[in-house]
Amino acid sequence: MSRKLGAFALALGILVGAMELKTLVTAHNSTVIMANGVSPVPKLPLPPSN
Amino acid sequence: MCAGVCFVACSLRRTSFLKYFFLNLYVILSLFADLIRQGVLRFYGVDSPQYGYAYYYTDCLLTIALFVAVISLASRVFAELQLAKYVRFVAVLLLLGTAGFSYAVVAQSTERLTTVFAVELSQNLYFVGLVLTYLLWGAVLKLQETRTRLVQMVLSLGLYFSAYAGSYALLNLAPRYEVVQYLAPILGCFLPVSWAMTIMRYSEDSRLTPARLVAVPR
Repeated sequence: MSRKLGAFALALGILVGAMELKTLVTAHNSTVIMANGVSPVPKLPLPPSN
Repeated sequence: MCAGVCFVACSLRRTSFLKYFFLNLYVILSLFADLIRQGVLRFYGVDSPQYGYAYYYTDCLLTIALFVAVISLASRVFAELQLAKYVRFVAVLLLLGTAGFSYAVVAQSTERLTTVFAVELSQNLYFVGLVLTYLLWGAVLKLQETRTRLVQMVLSLGLYFSAYAGSYALLNLAPRYEVVQYLAPILGCFLPVSWAMTIMRYSEDSRLTPARLVAVPR
């Protein structure tokens, strides 16, 4: 039981740490990091607003 | 693309395909994603929404595959401590937590939910993978892991994530220089090349000599 709670706490810690890191990195710039493949990164497609 | 084919071929040749199945799966998916992207790119062009959708949805799929690959390496590192099932538990929690967080972020803008959710999930999973890889590298050092292939594959992942973060920082610092924009696509080749070299150079039984043993005077 304590191991499961530990695993749960670890997952929460990793998630919070990762989101804080993301907030720090992308705070001043809204461009995206895409980490897969060699193709050129396109602009984010947005459907026409109604 | 050649690097990916090389890695899968090396895995098959060294009969390591199933041992590193999720790494191979990521590389195979990456090959297919590149083929789809190139097809859409040639047909519609880089500024078309079709290419944008194809790119971001395949990227989301690839990031999930990369996350599963990191978890599979973590399972192997912690297998000897009988902690593999807890690693899977943490992985499921992380995936669900990241998906939930991403949904919460984009839920406000319902008219573009699917695309932005894919991008947000991909980004968030990228950072979770980054943190997870560094934790895994810390565990490898702490547990004094000696399996050469495992150590080098984890190290490759750490370098890959770090290099992407570095290229992103350079892109923000010096957007004027065109060379910076080509860094990310070049880095895309790094992971399959480094994994292929690891598979070719070392066998499953290869072990690293711990530094403490090397330092012992004879």
